[in-house]
Amino acid sequence: MRMVDPSVAPLHDEPGERRLTIVGPEGVPLSFPAASLGERAVAFSIDIVILFATIFFIALVGMFLTAGSGLTFPFGMTLIAIFVVQHGYFVFFETHWQGVTPGKKVMRLRVVSKDGAGLVTDAIIARNLMRDVEVFLPGAVLAAPEQVWGNAPSWMIVPASLWLLLMFAMPALSRERTRIGDLVGGTLVVRLPQAKLLKDQAQRTSLVPGAPQDDVLRFTVQQLDVYGETELETLAGLMRKTDEGKASVHDLRVVALAIAKKIGFSGPLPHSDPRKFLRAFYQQQRSHLEKKLLFGQRKQDKFDG
Amino acid sequence: MSAADRGGRTEPRSVAFRKEREGQWFELDRIVTKSMKGGLKSLDARELHRLPVLYRAVLASLSVARRTAMDRALVLYLEALAGRAYLAVYGSRRSTRGAIRRALFETFPQRVRSLLPELGMSTLFVTLGALVAMQLMKVDMGWYDAFVDPALANGRDPNADTQTLREVLYGGGEQGEALATFASYLFVHNARIGMLCFALGFAAGIPTALLLFTNGLMLGAFLELYASRGLTVELLGWLLPHGVPEIGAVILCGAAGLHLGKSMLLPGRRTVRDSLAHAGRKCALVVAGAVVLFGIAGLVEGIFRQAVTDTTVRYTVFVFNLTWFLAWLFLAGRGRKGKASSPLGLVR
Repeated sequence: MRMVDPSVAPLHDEPGERRLTIVGPEGVPLSFPAASLGERAVAFSIDIVILFATIFFIALVGMFLTAGSGLTFPFGMTLIAIFVVQHGYFVFFETHWQGVTPGKKVMRLRVVSKDGAGLVTDAIIARNLMRDVEVFLPGAVLAAPEQVWGNAPSWMIVPASLWLLLMFAMPALSRERTRIGDLVGGTLVVRLPQAKLLKDQAQRTSLVPGAPQDDVLRFTVQQLDVYGETELETLAGLMRKTDEGKASVHDLRVVALAIAKKIGFSGPLPHSDPRKFLRAFYQQQRSHLEKKLLFGQRKQDKFDG
Repeated sequence: MSAADRGGRTEPRSVAFRKEREGQWFELDRIVTKSMKGGLKSLDARELHRLPVLYRAVLASLSVARRTAMDRALVLYLEALAGRAYLAVYGSRRSTRGAIRRALFETFPQRVRSLLPELGMSTLFVTLGALVAMQLMKVDMGWYDAFVDPALANGRDPNADTQTLREVLYGGGEQGEALATFASYLFVHNARIGMLCFALGFAAGIPTALLLFTNGLMLGAFLELYASRGLTVELLGWLLPHGVPEIGAVILCGAAGLHLGKSMLLPGRRTVRDSLAHAGRKCALVVAGAVVLFGIAGLVEGIFRQAVTDTTVRYTVFVFNLTWFLAWLFLAGRGRKGKASSPLGLVR
């Protein structure tokens, strides 16, 4: 038996998925799924399309006004408007939509502050100031290198190009999928968690409260001491599958017989109604493990303790 | 005496735990989902009041469930619900009344003053660039083309005669409208350079220093070109009124970039990551303020400069600009600490 770790870490969903832990001001660690590279790329592409469409529209109106009025003044205003839209787009949405831009909204992504406090405007400005260097500058270098470098000597171009490449590849290299802007702004991008409460498999749905429980199977403490948390969770998963119609009675029978054999169950073997046996066993096993947990004893699996 | 031995209660404790609190969780889920769709604004007064209360309740439930419940589905649900509620409550701080005024006139100058060493470095790089350009051009005027981008020179180069150079300084009248357009082009160009100056600080501040130096070269080249024709006084009268906010903004952005680079190289007691985020957040507002300064410089350049061609008035405006510029950066917001905002950020 292992003593319960006092620092209770958040439960991790699937082993393959990257989780980010944020400790809020209340001191409770919360775990979020990290936004994947693909999701972020799609969200960014959506934003870029909207942004470029807006800039194109402004440029069109500006050209029309400039040509129509015969003055150069509207042209100057157009330049300023494009500048404001280009640099204000992300900052505006992330401050007004709580860390969400239209692209992130579609992909259900969110910008959060790494330190767990509220997302401050400073952080939003900082992370978006870096966007030019890490996305648009490498793009410009690839598209028209001579325009960016001018007549810079090659001893400058080579390390600078490598540096830009490294900045661009940063999200793929870092564990938390952070880009440079996230580092400088102290932010993370997470996926919005979906909260769905599944049915509790230990709930007695078939019995009215206070009804006689003579027909309920009983297990002894020794029998309940055999398995641990992992097996309990596997069993819950199997019962959920049965509810969804994804597991047959035959599967249940195999499992029920295996459990009965392993724990040395003395009562009638669960050939006819394996489901009733499994439900009773799950309920009592969970009660038993939770009771022991109250005393600080955690049994991970059947090999534990 | 265990329940199993006695044949008493068979339901685990976590079942009762869940039954007692489910109602609260669903209420919170409803409010959070609503706020995700329409923002905090879409919540009515009661929901806005319940949100933080229910959020704390679900955090308590989560902490208890993590320690006592053997139902993984329950813990996962609470993880997700608490996460969603956290995002609804702490997602982004609502802007309070006068936030922009406070940012511009209190926080911005305070942050600028906290960057004094970097400001010194930044000024040094620009000055060095200017001195180098002036010395080189004293030897050979041909260096001018290497320092000044023809697009920005606007016809001012060593091949132009003194009369043309003088006319650029006093250009007005029918040329005025085109000058306003040129000024807005310059604003956009300069603001981009300024932001780049900060962002490039991420490469240990080296590109920032280079950028400052090249800007200094350009400045020095202009000064020397006009000095060689005996037009220094006229040039300074033309340059200084908008040069105060413009060159000031370049130096501010440079200081911000250098600070970013310094935070990586010398993180001090913090980890590099923390140090970088701290510096980035601190400098973001300095860069934003510098963009405002570029805008003011553009206004002075596009509107004022064409209207006033008298050198004495130009110098008066320079003194005026220098006064408010220094007062803003070095006097505003003194002795005032930023007000602590409400812990839940929900007070509107």
